[in-house]
Amino acid sequence: MTGDRQRRVRDLALMLCIGSFGVLTLVPFAFTLNNSFRANYELDHAFFGFPENLTGLARAAVAAISGSDAVFSVETDTGELVEATGWDAAGRYWHAATKGYRVSWGSLRPYMINTFIVCGATTLGVVTLGSISAYILSRYRFFGSRLVFYFIIGTMMFPAALTLVPSFVVVRNLGLLNTYWAMVLPYIAGGQVFATFVFKGFFDGLPEELFESARIDGAGHFRIYLDIVLPLSKPVLSVVAIMNILGTWNNFLWPFIVNTDGRYHVIASGLYVLATTTFAQNYSSLFAAYMTASIPLLVLFTYATRPFVRGVTSGAFKA
Amino acid sequence: MSNRSRPLFGYRARFTLTCYALLAVQMTLLVVFVYVPVFWAFSKSFFKFEVGSESRFVGFANYAELLFRDPTTLPSLLHMLFLTAFAVCVRLSVPLVVAKLIHSLSREKSRYLFRLLFLVPVVVPGVAVQLIWYGMIYNDRGMLNELLRMAGLEEFVRGWLSDPSTALVAVAFVGFPWVGGFEVLIYYAGLSSIPESVTEAALLEGCTGIQKFFRIDIPMVMSQLKLILILTIIAGVQSFEGLFILTKGGPGFRTMVPGLWMYFNAFSFQRMGYACAIGVCLFFIILGLTVLNMRYFRSTTELEGRG
Repeated sequence: MTGDRQRRVRDLALMLCIGSFGVLTLVPFAFTLNNSFRANYELDHAFFGFPENLTGLARAAVAAISGSDAVFSVETDTGELVEATGWDAAGRYWHAATKGYRVSWGSLRPYMINTFIVCGATTLGVVTLGSISAYILSRYRFFGSRLVFYFIIGTMMFPAALTLVPSFVVVRNLGLLNTYWAMVLPYIAGGQVFATFVFKGFFDGLPEELFESARIDGAGHFRIYLDIVLPLSKPVLSVVAIMNILGTWNNFLWPFIVNTDGRYHVIASGLYVLATTTFAQNYSSLFAAYMTASIPLLVLFTYATRPFVRGVTSGAFKA
Repeated sequence: MSNRSRPLFGYRARFTLTCYALLAVQMTLLVVFVYVPVFWAFSKSFFKFEVGSESRFVGFANYAELLFRDPTTLPSLLHMLFLTAFAVCVRLSVPLVVAKLIHSLSREKSRYLFRLLFLVPVVVPGVAVQLIWYGMIYNDRGMLNELLRMAGLEEFVRGWLSDPSTALVAVAFVGFPWVGGFEVLIYYAGLSSIPESVTEAALLEGCTGIQKFFRIDIPMVMSQLKLILILTIIAGVQSFEGLFILTKGGPGFRTMVPGLWMYFNAFSFQRMGYACAIGVCLFFIILGLTVLNMRYFRSTTELEGRG
């Protein structure tokens, strides 16, 4: 019994330690969320504070539930005060609190759509090309196959700093500036290397008997790839896909450079543009934009954490 | 009909051709977007070269300028060295300690939940994180200054990123307390793979707590440490997105690093050849460090292989 109690005390102490790291890590994000509901004058008045419109919302909701007919004066989008009671007041408070989100969404939406297109095309290309090449290089020996493998893996040696400037020149000379291709094609070229490497490692480990029995059953090369290899490699596929989405999503510099006229900005480069121009002085909209921009990955992670954690934890990542 | 029964090539040759046909897309992309840029990076570094106008061969002039005449070279190298060393120190220690703390929890469920907790910030775009630190924490009316004002320490209030004496340290402190969700996951995976027998043997020898952490855990996660070390060094030497957002190398050249200087030369001053020369130098620095790393840090798999 004492052992059990000792363990619980120890766990509690550990959780306090981890928890304080967690709180420090999350504080900036919590403040961003909080301040995305606050107008500029609130920030000037007191940096640390709860959004006035959300406290108003809470008071109005309490009043509505308790049936009192207290009157609240709420600011509208145009800045004038409107008197309201009960749920009507609560709704108006909510509308006022989320003003930043509505304002920033207009600017953010095209960036969001561009990001989805670029991320989707890149991930599809990387997974398709990577798995096909890995399958060929892993299952078949042909003239020059080792050379091809080194030709692909060798590109890992070249850091982004070496190729950044000349890549821009290549993309410019191909006339791809200010198109989706300027982002998608280099991303696929770079991303497929890691994908091929990981897939090949996984395919090499698949038992030979599997392929033999499939061949005896009359399956061709393409059938084996499509119906046996791909379904078996789902966990690896999802890890590679998620890593790729994360990389593409967070790449700021390249989209910033190749979108010289700013039409095809993605979230990363778009946020920078918003922060330095449109919303430089409009903090609630800016912070709301950061929060809105985090939603897609939050959704992705709620669905994909388990395979992702399992993939990373499986020990694929060591040097 | 008779010549249809004899194929042009043998089976083997046709098979090889099919393989190459399937690999063609990937190889083409690699040639166009990796090998051609790499080749140009080296060749254009010998030219004075502006986009859209003609280029002129200047031999080693770009390299000579970079190494001997450019007054920003030495300070940027030192800044890069400081920031990289700082990043290595925090990325090899803090996430490992957190992973160890999480690993020591007795319930599987709480271990999983805490690992998830540190993964939450990953959903925020990296640019937004830098911008949050720039605009909300280091700003004149940001969190840091407001906290100091509240504590009555007005004399310490300053523009953290614009004050020459604090800018570099402020840049290094972005992301405090540096508990990266991925790093925690990777170290945690290493800690979980330590065999039960090793832990039991350590326990029998009376090796517990801090001693066990240094004598058992750290050597056993060496391959993970090595991975993070390589990744952090490579990122530290070449990446400059954070500095671009936070300071643009300023105030003055107080936070300039070679990568950022390359960017400005290429895209602000139109000195593409000079920028390529900087890129080539960065490539050799990274190559040298990676080789050193592989030489002098043995991973656990190698240790096991020797034992």
